[in-house]
Amino acid sequence: MTPEGMLLNGLAVITTGLIVGAIFSLVAAGVTIMYGTIWFPNASNGQFFILAALLMWSLVANWGLSPFLAAVVVIAGSIPFSLILEKFLVRPFYNVPNRNIVYFIMTLGLAQIFAGAFTCTYGRWSDQYSLPATWPGVIMLGPFPFPRTRLLVLLIALILLAGLFAFLRLHRIGRALRAVFQNREAAILRGVDVRRIYRFSFVLAMLIITTGGVLFALAYAFDLTMAWNMAIIAFAIMIVGGPGSVLGSVVIGMIFGFTQAAVSLFASPTLAAFSYLIVMLIILLVKPSGLFAR
Amino acid sequence: MAYRRAALVGLVILALALPFLFSASRFYAFILGVTYLYILWSSGMNLLSGFTGLMPLMYAGLAGVGAYTTVNLVMKFGVSFWLAMPAGALAAALVGVVLGLPSLRLRGFYFTLSGLVIQTALTMLFVYIPQFTGGDTGISQIPPPLISLPGDRSFPLAGVWLEEALAVAALLTVYVVHRVTQSTLGKYLVAIREDDLLTEALGIGVTRYRVLAFFISSLFAGVGGAFYAHYVGFVSPRSFDVLTSLNIWLIVGFGGQGTILGPIVGAVILAPIPYLMQEFYLYKDIVYGSLIVFTTIFLPRGVYGSLLFHRRTRTSARGKSEAARS
Repeated sequence: MTPEGMLLNGLAVITTGLIVGAIFSLVAAGVTIMYGTIWFPNASNGQFFILAALLMWSLVANWGLSPFLAAVVVIAGSIPFSLILEKFLVRPFYNVPNRNIVYFIMTLGLAQIFAGAFTCTYGRWSDQYSLPATWPGVIMLGPFPFPRTRLLVLLIALILLAGLFAFLRLHRIGRALRAVFQNREAAILRGVDVRRIYRFSFVLAMLIITTGGVLFALAYAFDLTMAWNMAIIAFAIMIVGGPGSVLGSVVIGMIFGFTQAAVSLFASPTLAAFSYLIVMLIILLVKPSGLFAR
Repeated sequence: MAYRRAALVGLVILALALPFLFSASRFYAFILGVTYLYILWSSGMNLLSGFTGLMPLMYAGLAGVGAYTTVNLVMKFGVSFWLAMPAGALAAALVGVVLGLPSLRLRGFYFTLSGLVIQTALTMLFVYIPQFTGGDTGISQIPPPLISLPGDRSFPLAGVWLEEALAVAALLTVYVVHRVTQSTLGKYLVAIREDDLLTEALGIGVTRYRVLAFFISSLFAGVGGAFYAHYVGFVSPRSFDVLTSLNIWLIVGFGGQGTILGPIVGAVILAPIPYLMQEFYLYKDIVYGSLIVFTTIFLPRGVYGSLLFHRRTRTSARGKSEAARS
């Protein structure tokens, strides 16, 4: 490989790693918030992620909506959707002692429903889905071209992650949410309405996952197999980073994003997925509380 | 007791007679054969998920190990199916013991998650070793098992006789699982399910019995996989992916976890569905997925399990009221 080729490849790894890592981090943050507060290990997170992306595709490529309007519609639509899910699927189990395993099986079933529904609707219409560039053209970073849309997506993702951090550290509700992560009983004693925090964190987490899907659809082409991979990757990030730790999910999400970019370039994406699985298994066996747990 | 024994004998005779009754239609006979396979698989999984309290989401992967081992022995090395099948089952059992090792450290959700991870890795592995698995295209035209007769004659075990063999295999599995649960081992497994720390404190080797449960359960996964390959005649990594594991779990959970008849009830009701709604084959995942959600919310004990539970509570209530009267 020529030096310029290597440099270009290296730059591709960095940019793709940043964008993919930021989106991984977002989705994993959603999954980890859900698990940390409600004990809801959402195995269908990948399906919700791809649902958002598919809806973006329908709205923009088929209905001709502007991408910004479509993003607002999809993200806002996730709120009533998650409230319904919370009422019928999540809330009935709040008093069940080992509810995480019940939830896990249930969301696996949910994932199967969505996967089946996607194959006999979107699966018939197309194999790969890509949106027209929201903001066509490239920006030159020195001698290297950088598509504008992807730069925009990266900026939005980073701003959202920063906003999430600020919310969890500074805002009253965010702090209550972290209190529930860390010590449910103490939080109750301090007057936190745990049920309301549960509902709020479910909606917030779904909102984050949906946003991840919307951003991914804006930046890259995708297909239906993404759903299952995303679910596994989000779980891997949550386990390695430590369930309930948003910081862990961001750090590990970025690392996994770069791994994905590098391994996909030089070997195959399956190898990257395989490496996550092995890392997750090792962490599960050695330190189930994850690397960033307190 | 005599009544129950008669019912049991009747059930066995029915199971053996059904292949002949269905033999007029290859289609319905095939559905019956698949149902027997799922009875075998779900009874085997029930030993872990129902009786030991460990949900093995890598079960289909283990079935795949058994199937691929058997198919390779038969098709590449010309080994008789009847030798290759036990070898495949043993391979699945040994792999199952190794892959079950996380259960020594992990409980509940974390163990289930590790099962999902292992299952996903196994599916990827099946795709990546095409010299043994045929990769994504799979292996087709797997011959039916051969029966050799004295005097160098042999005939393929096909059609109704293969379904008969499946019926025997399913009945034997149910019988073995029943015997295991009645034995001391079974009692230990239930004790481990209810409280493993307490069981350990009582001086029962939790590790050893967990490993043993994995061995037996995975053995059946392998037997089922071997029969599946040679019955259906085609295997691909998709035959043994996580959805298959989930479907087997659904049959156990829908019928009744930790009961002997539960998996049979579940398999009889659920296994034929994707074949009976053939033109709706695409909707199979939607139906099974909805059933999983339905079962976890409304039927946590399963159909047969709820029946047992209601009967037990009714008799115990009657016993109490009689005791109060006297």
